[in-house]
Amino acid sequence: MVLQDLGRKINAAVADLTRSPNLDEKAFEGMVKDICHALIEADVNVKLVATLRKSIKSSVNFSNLAPGVNKKRLIQKAVFDELVKLVDPHNEPYKPKKGKSNVIMFVGLQGAGKTTTCTKLARWYAARGFKACLVCADTFRAGAFDQLKQNATKAKIPYYGSLTQTDPVTVAREGVDKFKKERFEIIIVDTSGRHRQEKDLFDEMVQIQEAVRPDQTIMVMDGSIGQQAEAQSRAFKETADFGAIIITKTDGAAAGGGAISAVAATHTPIVFIGTGEHLLDLERFAPKQFISKLLGMGDMQGLVEH
Amino acid sequence: ISGLFRNVVGGKTLTKEDLVKPLKGMEDHLLKKNVAREAAVRLCNSVERDLIGMKTGNFTSIDTTLRTAMEKALRKILTPTSPLDLLREIQSTVRSSTKRRPYVISIVGVNGVGKSTNLSKIAFFLLQNHYRVLIAAGDTFRSGAVEQLRVHVNNLKELTQRQGKGAVDLFEKGYGKDAAHIARDSVEYAAAHAYDVVLIDTAGRRHNDARLMSSLEKFAELAKPDKILMVGEALVGSDAVQQARHFDAAFGVGRRLDGFIVSKCDTVGDMVGTLVSMVHATGIPVLFLGTGQHYGDLRVLRVESVVGLLMQ
Ligand SMILES: Nc1nc2c(ncn2[C@@H]2O[C@H](COP(=O)(O)OP(=O)(O)OP(=O)(O)O)[C@@H](O)[C@H]2O)c(=O)[nH]1
Ligand SMILES: Nc1nc2c(ncn2[C@@H]2O[C@H](COP(=O)(O)OP(=O)(O)OP(=O)(O)O)[C@@H](O)[C@H]2O)c(=O)[nH]1
Ligand SMILES: [Mg+2]
Ligand SMILES: [Mg+2]
Repeated sequence: MVLQDLGRKINAAVADLTRSPNLDEKAFEGMVKDICHALIEADVNVKLVATLRKSIKSSVNFSNLAPGVNKKRLIQKAVFDELVKLVDPHNEPYKPKKGKSNVIMFVGLQGAGKTTTCTKLARWYAARGFKACLVCADTFRAGAFDQLKQNATKAKIPYYGSLTQTDPVTVAREGVDKFKKERFEIIIVDTSGRHRQEKDLFDEMVQIQEAVRPDQTIMVMDGSIGQQAEAQSRAFKETADFGAIIITKTDGAAAGGGAISAVAATHTPIVFIGTGEHLLDLERFAPKQFISKLLGMGDMQGLVEH
Repeated sequence: ISGLFRNVVGGKTLTKEDLVKPLKGMEDHLLKKNVAREAAVRLCNSVERDLIGMKTGNFTSIDTTLRTAMEKALRKILTPTSPLDLLREIQSTVRSSTKRRPYVISIVGVNGVGKSTNLSKIAFFLLQNHYRVLIAAGDTFRSGAVEQLRVHVNNLKELTQRQGKGAVDLFEKGYGKDAAHIARDSVEYAAAHAYDVVLIDTAGRRHNDARLMSSLEKFAELAKPDKILMVGEALVGSDAVQQARHFDAAFGVGRRLDGFIVSKCDTVGDMVGTLVSMVHATGIPVLFLGTGQHYGDLRVLRVESVVGLLMQ
């Protein structure tokens, strides 16, 4: 699972240090180095790791510690705080309201898991009493509408799309208008995969957005993404101003640090994580609980609320 | 200024201490290019071994010396020991006068990396070379997987008819069936109907899913592919190492991967480290790069240009 391995390594690094008989500056430096290596192996952005290293070192300020201070606790807290900062976006996600039309648009890189996840999310809301539906605005990828249609049928979610219309803006507008008239409460718009290097694709995303005027735009990110995560998510943020992130494929072996870096780069909360290929493999995400889990709790208990 | 001067003076015998800082800088550089840490450390260690005790050239700084050594190390790791000429191999198989049979290529990899798309690009490439291609829909799990290939086959048919080259068809048995059996049947069908090449698509699978990974062994047994190519995407980070290792080990004793296709290279700019990570993990060569979403967006690996991007 995502970040588990990282949690284990960080715990081991902190535990090694606090167990060592002479807790000196050199041992502390060694621990910070181990943690940074673990973060880099987890695909956290290299520049971000350098910043985090500085922050931990300055907040512990080893050479200036008052005598009698609980070094172990201080170090643990510094590490914990920096990690929480990494995934805590300081931003609240949009909360759909019943009795009105909430339009949610999905964007993201090619193959990230948008189409799979939009059905999962529609079903999630449907199970909570919302009237939910899907619009396929991907007219580019071969078989995109069939994919959405088959998923939606399995989940018993109404859908809209076209096999002949080639303009995604038109399909998106038609679908959203139709479902608004029919008083659907959650209208999820799936779009094609795109990337920042192709301006036309980004322009198209803006046009779809202007046509459907979403209440929430969600960026879907593959949990195994590496060092490109930051630049891509920043570009999507600047162009589409997404307000939430969903990380997919967290059932894979990747540690998920790339996706975490996207949160840090865009100050945008993760709202759900995808945990498998099936319809029900979707979990809500809460940053603080996540970090506690990541750190295996144990020694960290009691540091969560402060 | 004195630091700068010390650095450019040539004719110095390099010690371990001299190299600590520059090597750390080089490692960071590779990490930023999305090379997995494991691979970056290995490259830096090998360069360190090469350089300790070496004399720098006249007016050559340590940085330049290190750079040249790293370029050499990258070139070495990326250059295949036995280059593969796919077209020639296909030619000698399908034109063999004694036992004529179709040449079989199967494509594997984790979810969403670009298997089906790059399979279609390979089909396009083969059609350009006048081959008769059968595409087998071996992904019987993911919604829309069969229709996706049908769209590609229809598009490719139109293109080839217009250009009067090759022929392409789809072999599919819908969803839910066992992929290994479909693969075997497709090869039999191809042999009976004089296709030259069979391209078998497979469902995406997590490399840490033991059940799905173990089914690949039976798949290889029944389909007997001439080439098993794994698609890995340039976007992926450190996981590239384990992806490559686990797929390489999934086909049973004596059967390994034959090559990688690294897709989505157009989405990463100069951060092409995934290539290095995958080759580092397995020693299996990169055969093709996917550079876009259109049929023509497939390139053979040019080591020099990849090294250039990595050292930029
Ligand atoms: N294991 C796993 N696979 C997933 C998850 N989410 C999606 N997938 C798989 O990832 C692959 C790509 O998913 P899609 O939903 O087609 O991705 P997309 O972003 O719509 O792709 P494009 O529309 O081509 O950009 C499929 O094989 C999905 O089954 C997840 O949480 N876990
Ligand atoms: N930019 C870019 N996109 C690519 C490339 N190759 C594939 N894609 C896109 O990546 C997405 C996923 O491609 P697929 O071929 O469906 O991937 P797959 O591995 O077959 O996916 P599953 O069968 O669901 O596991 C599609 O949107 C493709 O257009 C590439 O080289 N560059
Ligand atoms: Mg899609
Ligand atoms: Mg596929």
